[in-house]
Amino acid sequence: MPLTRLACAAIALVAVSRSAESAEKVDFGRDIRPILSDKCFKCHGPAVQKSKLRLDDRDAAIKKDAIAPGKHTNSELIVRVLLADDDKGRMPPVGVADRLTPDQVTKLKAWIDQGAEYPPHWAFVAPRRPSIPVSRDPKGSDPSHPIDAFIHARLAQERLKPSAQADRATLIRRVALDLTGLLPSPKEVEDFLKDESPNAYVKVVDRLLASPHYGERQARHWLDLARYADSNGYTIDGPRQIWAYREWVINALNADMPFDQFTTEQLAGDLLPNATLQQKVATGFHRNTSFNEEGGTDAEQFRVERTVDRANTTAAVWLGLTAGCAQCHDHKYDPFSQKDYYRLYAFFDNCDEPTLPLGGPPDLEKQIADVQTRLAAARLSGNDEEAKKLIAELKKVQSQAPTTLVLRERPKQRQTFVQIRGDFLRKGDEVQPAYPTAISAASAGKRLTRLDLAKWLTSTANPLTARVTVNREWQKFFGRGLVETENDFGLQGNFPTHPELLDWLASEFQNPSPTPPLKREGLKTKDAPLRGSVFFPTPPPFLGEGVGGRGSWSLKRLHKLIVTSSTYKQSSSMRKDLTERDPRNLLLGRQTRLRLEAEIIRDASLSASGMLNPKLGGPGVFPPQPKEVFAFTQSNHPWVESKGPDRYRRGMYTYIWRQSQHPLLTTFDAADAQVTCTKRTRSNTPLQALHMANDPVFVEFANSLGGRIEAEGPPDDAGKISFAYRVCFARTPTSAEAQRVQAYLDAKRKADPKTAWIAVARVLMNLDEFITRE
Amino acid sequence: MQPHEIDSALTLARTRRHFFRDCGVGVGAMALGSMLSRDTLAKERHNPLSPKKPHFPAKAKAVIYLFMAGAPSQLELFEPKPELNKLHGQKVPESFTKGKRFAFIKGDAKLLGSKRTFEKAGKCGMDLSELLPHHKEVADEICWVRGMKTDVFNHGPAKCFINTGSPQFGRPSMGAWLTYGLGAESDSLPGFVVLQSGPRGPRGGASLYGSGFLPSVYQGVPFLKGANPILDLAPPPGVDTKKQGEFVDAVNDLNKLRHDATGDPEIQTRIAAYEMAYRMQTSAPELMDLSREAKKTLDMYGAVQGKPSFAANCILARRLVQRGVRFIQLYHTDWDMHGGAIDLTKPLDNICKEIDQPCAALIKDLKQLGMLDSTIVVWGGEFGRTPMGESRETIGRDHHIDAYTMWLAGGGFKPGAMYGKSDEIGYNVVEDQVHVHDLQATILNQMGMDHTKLTYRFQGRDYRLTDVHGKVVKELLS
Repeated sequence: MPLTRLACAAIALVAVSRSAESAEKVDFGRDIRPILSDKCFKCHGPAVQKSKLRLDDRDAAIKKDAIAPGKHTNSELIVRVLLADDDKGRMPPVGVADRLTPDQVTKLKAWIDQGAEYPPHWAFVAPRRPSIPVSRDPKGSDPSHPIDAFIHARLAQERLKPSAQADRATLIRRVALDLTGLLPSPKEVEDFLKDESPNAYVKVVDRLLASPHYGERQARHWLDLARYADSNGYTIDGPRQIWAYREWVINALNADMPFDQFTTEQLAGDLLPNATLQQKVATGFHRNTSFNEEGGTDAEQFRVERTVDRANTTAAVWLGLTAGCAQCHDHKYDPFSQKDYYRLYAFFDNCDEPTLPLGGPPDLEKQIADVQTRLAAARLSGNDEEAKKLIAELKKVQSQAPTTLVLRERPKQRQTFVQIRGDFLRKGDEVQPAYPTAISAASAGKRLTRLDLAKWLTSTANPLTARVTVNREWQKFFGRGLVETENDFGLQGNFPTHPELLDWLASEFQNPSPTPPLKREGLKTKDAPLRGSVFFPTPPPFLGEGVGGRGSWSLKRLHKLIVTSSTYKQSSSMRKDLTERDPRNLLLGRQTRLRLEAEIIRDASLSASGMLNPKLGGPGVFPPQPKEVFAFTQSNHPWVESKGPDRYRRGMYTYIWRQSQHPLLTTFDAADAQVTCTKRTRSNTPLQALHMANDPVFVEFANSLGGRIEAEGPPDDAGKISFAYRVCFARTPTSAEAQRVQAYLDAKRKADPKTAWIAVARVLMNLDEFITRE
Repeated sequence: MQPHEIDSALTLARTRRHFFRDCGVGVGAMALGSMLSRDTLAKERHNPLSPKKPHFPAKAKAVIYLFMAGAPSQLELFEPKPELNKLHGQKVPESFTKGKRFAFIKGDAKLLGSKRTFEKAGKCGMDLSELLPHHKEVADEICWVRGMKTDVFNHGPAKCFINTGSPQFGRPSMGAWLTYGLGAESDSLPGFVVLQSGPRGPRGGASLYGSGFLPSVYQGVPFLKGANPILDLAPPPGVDTKKQGEFVDAVNDLNKLRHDATGDPEIQTRIAAYEMAYRMQTSAPELMDLSREAKKTLDMYGAVQGKPSFAANCILARRLVQRGVRFIQLYHTDWDMHGGAIDLTKPLDNICKEIDQPCAALIKDLKQLGMLDSTIVVWGGEFGRTPMGESRETIGRDHHIDAYTMWLAGGGFKPGAMYGKSDEIGYNVVEDQVHVHDLQATILNQMGMDHTKLTYRFQGRDYRLTDVHGKVVKELLS
């Protein structure tokens, strides 16, 4: 199968495929729609129909003679795209888009000659479980793991071989960082290296999946989607308490709450019958929106902005759709009309946004709400003095118990209208909550609620959620999804590199195979040891299985499936043949070195230095940061540096002021917490070098690691250097590396014997490999 | 594919070929000792900030954006309105306010005449108030835009709008777009630098100069006061320049060994980043040190050596341009004069004194150094202020989005041009309106970038600074 949409860097690869493919049938979704979508739909698509022509609808296109099925010579579409640049009729017009390439024209002709069929967009059709490919190579043995079967079959088509497995040291460091975000201890590494049993690796995986740090690591990914922060954003960026929601996510993921339940509780926990406190806390997902406290703001305007954000985030996270485009006009590329948009918006238009006390006197919620109402009035009138007083009062009232932000359905329904050009003051037609028409034809007999939406999202009626979710999980382990545009499964999104594997994973995620697909290993999900926390003393009463039965929608099961594949376990080293033919590693002939995320850089440093405080959950903490951080913001926020153990908490607990995040987070591409973030960038900059080399926090870590090398390492230099490499990289140094470190150590020792190992530790923690998962 | 990934894919072969030098040669020694580093090494390195070709030949190569945070009053500075003074104290005619929304003003607001006196300045005859005497000396160098229009009337969203083209936080700022599109010519300083003066930082914080969904290498780097303006610039206690050089050498030698083992070009980028970081440790303190500037120059700006101020920041901005930095933004607070704590009397006198002389000096200085033609200076706030007054404890004006003034100088903007006109009370633009997106498009144009083509694929859509709007205002250009 060719990789038509996969970008220019893969040209060499595509060229390889093409010769074999020329006789193959043209695939509309893969080959044709991208051309029409890029070049034509802007003027002749769902939103705009210049000259009353639309090319996204077969009947309409035939009626206007643009397409004559079976006869490309009679098709105006072909005539027009072939006209000279100076001909006024050329399509697309000069200045609107570049002319079609000869290859694209050839494809269009072939498609028309083959009948010009318009099958629906692949992502809008429910996945069907494909059969697992069988090796065509008579000598080759079939891979025992389904993921490998798909990956190897595709590689074999290009006559490429997968890479060898990474060595065990690399492997344990990789899987520990991916699953828990912490470095394996030297003992854990040694144990694994010594373990000769066939399931040695699976034992490590099971241990990591059962670690409470698994929930932290995976929760931080989810908090990116949730746009989690500890402040209100906009200009004043005042503090907020919503850490209980963060703790809920950690606990839910540690307990392997099925993803369908995980979805329902976050989108509509308040609407569940006899909703528990924890189910209410879960609705904090959509309370992570920014909140404008600036004086003179129109409260309704910013409520609308929050609601818009809720609709956009829901579409991006569960549907992989860029619904935001349809806020102002019908989507130009996707069959997502402006009405569809406001129907989705309507699900969230009927929420109150209370502050929920987690304890305290029974009327505490009301006390808080009263002060908030008065505060809003003071702000509206620009009465700064009064506002200041009320903020102090609010703080006092709230100090009676921890609180968190939740959603609650209003007793009296708001009417929802289409907002003309996205302007909330210009009301169009009234709309009712409904699912996007492109993926759900069914009309509801009643007014739908958020709870209906949540259930529909993870139902078989919706073709997107399972695919979008497994794709994002895949991205965690390979740096890129099988669909590279992880937040766009629409018509402008990329075609999957491995469509069958994607659908197989999506099917397996929803309805696990009755026989475990892994030979002998089983796929039991361990019950994670849930620890008590401040106000969740007992584990939450999870259902334990998704609606598809035991193991359905299980993220731990999915993660285990992925990390036990040979594909995951391959070496990440570059290979000349792959670099030439698949430079972006789209076919996964090797693993990829991935720079660690900001928080995980801190976590890895904490584990190397031996200073990590493993405490789970609780409010944000304040590790040291330069006071200059607030020189460029309106408000000088309090940053009372945490002393004692809180100084050494994992990166995910660092207090997040949206508009002035900790420099570690901004320097290493953490999510900006303004809107949902489905994928972080991984940049590589001089400011990162300065941070690792000079920041007092990392200097402190290096000091501690230096001490650890001296105290815990063997007596001789060579032994200490090996120990240090084991701590930082899990592996042993090459002789060249050991020599270079020894030379540096000798020079430092001459200058100051007491700090020589600290200097070495600082060098090791600054290596590219230290902040990279190999 | 994301554009930066195209970059890395395409540079792969090149960087491999050039990789790498004898590991016996220390980075520190090289950076300190040789002019070679800048000219040859920079070109060979895989650096996302290395200079790129513009879409078409550029008029300007750098921007200094003087951001008057809080929004100055055009009616006290640039726009004498005799009719407004005549109607002082009367209710504003409903024909003006119908359907309009304000931050604080309610329906009964009364018009507020200006107490400031105006005078025609230069050959162009621009009206300038008593508050800006130094501006009068450079009136004929400036392109005056009196018909500005923006879309949003709260500070945060409006600041975001003029910086990023969107009132929602989280999009790349103009400086990020330009360094993404053009790279920078400095290999020892960031491509986009932000300076701050005044009593507090600008509302909106890092989002105003953020890189949004662009890689963070393009984000504005806030420069702090003092000799070490970049966070974590100075080596830890006990580590001097020589020791830091040895440290960088050891790090890079070991990185090179890992590169040999894995072949990952990201490690080359990391090596280059450590080299540049090391150079910054010398170049940034050198930049901040105004002691090499002539006394005459300091006096011209009204700056005092060793004392942070808007004036000192203007000198730093010029020094940054001289060192190849692409985009420099200066925030000066606080212009938000509603009445109450700050109003249009003494506080306005004071802030005008802080900025008037340095702004004029910057233009003169750039001109005498032959840099004005290739440097765009932008001056303005996030919106203007209302013709109606606001009565708090004292008198001030509310936020106004429908007509206000900004100015530009250098970089091919027409000297002495006056463009745009508001009605007799300064409420609406009646001639030659320039919308924020138009201004953004025009600035990009002068930098050699077509605002419709400077795009980045994110969430399935090609985003750009000007959203789907904006047109280049040719009338502002020479």
